[in-house]
Amino acid sequence: MKITAKILIALLILLPATALFANGSQDSGASEEVVLQYWSWDPELKSRNETMIEKFEIANPGIKVELTTIEPKEYWTKIRIMANQKKLPDVFNLSAGYLEEWSQNGLLFDLSSFIESDLNKNDFYMNLFDAVKDLSGTDSYYAFPYALVTTCLYYNKDAFDEAGISYPDSNWTWDDFRDAAIKLTKDIDRDGSIDQWGYWFYGRYAHIESWVYSNNGSLINRDAMKYAPDSNALEAISFLTDLVLKDKAAPSKKEMSAFRQQDVFPQGAAAMFVDGSWNIDNNRSVAGDSINWGIAELPKGPNGDGSLTYGWPDSLAISPNTQHADAAWKFTRFAAGEGLSMDMVMAGKIPSYRPLTESEAFLDKGQQPDNKELLIAQAGEEMRTSFTLSWGEWRGYGAAESLGFNGVIDGIIDSELNYAEALELAEKNVNTVLDRNYK
Amino acid sequence: MKQKQLSWYKKQDPWIFLFPTIVGLVFFRVGPIIVSFLISFTDWDILRDARFLGLENYKELFLSSAFYQVFRNTLTFSFIYVCGVTIFGLLLALLLNQKLKGMKFFRSAFYTPVVTSAVAVGIIWSWILSPKYGILTILLNKIGIVSPYWLGDPSLALTTVALIQVWKMSGYYMIIFLAGLQNIPESLREAARIDGAGKLKTFFKITLPLLTPTTFFVLSISIIDSFKNFELIYAITRGGPQNSTNTLVYDVYLNAFVYYRMGYSSALAYILLAVVGLLTAFNFYGKKRWVQYQY
Repeated sequence: MKITAKILIALLILLPATALFANGSQDSGASEEVVLQYWSWDPELKSRNETMIEKFEIANPGIKVELTTIEPKEYWTKIRIMANQKKLPDVFNLSAGYLEEWSQNGLLFDLSSFIESDLNKNDFYMNLFDAVKDLSGTDSYYAFPYALVTTCLYYNKDAFDEAGISYPDSNWTWDDFRDAAIKLTKDIDRDGSIDQWGYWFYGRYAHIESWVYSNNGSLINRDAMKYAPDSNALEAISFLTDLVLKDKAAPSKKEMSAFRQQDVFPQGAAAMFVDGSWNIDNNRSVAGDSINWGIAELPKGPNGDGSLTYGWPDSLAISPNTQHADAAWKFTRFAAGEGLSMDMVMAGKIPSYRPLTESEAFLDKGQQPDNKELLIAQAGEEMRTSFTLSWGEWRGYGAAESLGFNGVIDGIIDSELNYAEALELAEKNVNTVLDRNYK
Repeated sequence: MKQKQLSWYKKQDPWIFLFPTIVGLVFFRVGPIIVSFLISFTDWDILRDARFLGLENYKELFLSSAFYQVFRNTLTFSFIYVCGVTIFGLLLALLLNQKLKGMKFFRSAFYTPVVTSAVAVGIIWSWILSPKYGILTILLNKIGIVSPYWLGDPSLALTTVALIQVWKMSGYYMIIFLAGLQNIPESLREAARIDGAGKLKTFFKITLPLLTPTTFFVLSISIIDSFKNFELIYAITRGGPQNSTNTLVYDVYLNAFVYYRMGYSSALAYILLAVVGLLTAFNFYGKKRWVQYQY
């Protein structure tokens, strides 16, 4: 075999690899067109996003938008790498939990001047913009909120009718709630074990913080950046854990280990449930027509007045390194405003674009629940969250769900930890994480 | 003569063909191994540039009580897994090493869980073991036993998850044992029988000693395998309840891709490497005491 033949073979093997590298560097044509990169975290919305982009491109000749859709599981790792390399896409999805970290590291474009001068403020719920400001811990708008997520009380109307209890309304107090939960807890087939619990919760953020805020409480001391639940927050935690341990109106966590947490209510195993408003979607698909259900505001705590909601906005952000800030702003305003349609927002998320939220399309009449107006009212209320730096770690979220603060609450309702030692453990664990982040 | 036949062979030739593989190995294996060692001395969170911390991550790790629990969980899981798959794998292989009808069916049946996705296995077992509605709970109730919270009780959860992994993987080790068993010449067992050895005695005096090279292989592989328990834990317990099923691999994942503490996570990964390395070295070191390569 000649040496040329060998080199030829080696080249043949390497050729496909070089072709891969060659592809990247061809797009720099001499056209005047502005090309924006847009990263979305929702693969289910891909085709609708494409339609939205088409509409935008027709209305804005000269601007082209390239959409990249990434599975939520990988989205944050990938976009963090882009941020580290200063190659963030011009426009991208941002969740409220990262606003503080990203804005303080200079990874978000300050939208304040655009928002002041180039936005019709009557078209948007401006308190969501204020929430964005608060969450970033700055005086600037670092993101454009396109939808609000809030929490509400889901209740099974059939179970309420059967027990002869009137449906929850905005005057409901914690006592009304507890009485109802006890009455709704039933051993229907009389086999000695409960088939329908009055209520279902565990240590999950949406299950705990909602009640803390309905009692005007707070888990974190924002001045010292320490875990320091005030008396209102502690009252909420003991109210909830007592529902399991004393009132026996809610199951322990381990009792429900075979359920997806969000399926307990729509499968009829619990008559009431509190979680994010996006569960409207899951309730519809799991319960179908098998149960009638509605939504209500959270019952007021002894120290709450019903004006404080657990809610946070999903946003669009612009890269601080963008070469086309004006075009990126135009696209952001369109994608979060007139370009948005109800089929792009999960049922239960509340668009910040008022013409959409206040339209018939939002109310989904003919589908359950029949009172989505309630969510619009909540969109105007004051909002609080427990987000901090490294929130997922101390809170116990996603793959860490059984750890952190979540795990501590689970420990109480599973009778693995007593109340006092659990709170001590929580303080130690949460403050270790907060101290590392806020030196 | 021979020299002449291979006159076209040059010493450097194989390297040309190995080149693509070596590039892959260096960039995608050796590279990350070295880089993650360096990262373990930093506070890298992907977002910002890394800051050098010295031994801070290792210090934090050794001073954290949660780490020792994770470490204990990891070793317990491995112990249950290695014993479990070795014993069950061998038992299944012995069962299937008989000339009966339908053996092929059983071989593939026992192998099926190995190729089933860990997530599917996790979901199915969560249902089987579920309180109140689970089939195992219902069956136990029928015979008057109150079923414990298999996955909800911190003192049981780790053992339960490890046994599910044993159930899933035994089929793989069964195949290896089966190959080993079929390599043992029938004549040796026949000779033992003629000399008056019973079935048990033949097994312990002939089969088992001659199977030791296979057993050694199974141990080596299963020790390494026993640390790869991420998927099942993710699918079933997510490290809970009360940290009871959190293992090194799971903790590495959490710190790297949930908390974005790449430095701390790399330190954990190096502890894991040390543990796997030590156990494997120990296994190799002990080999000459009990492995017999000759008939």
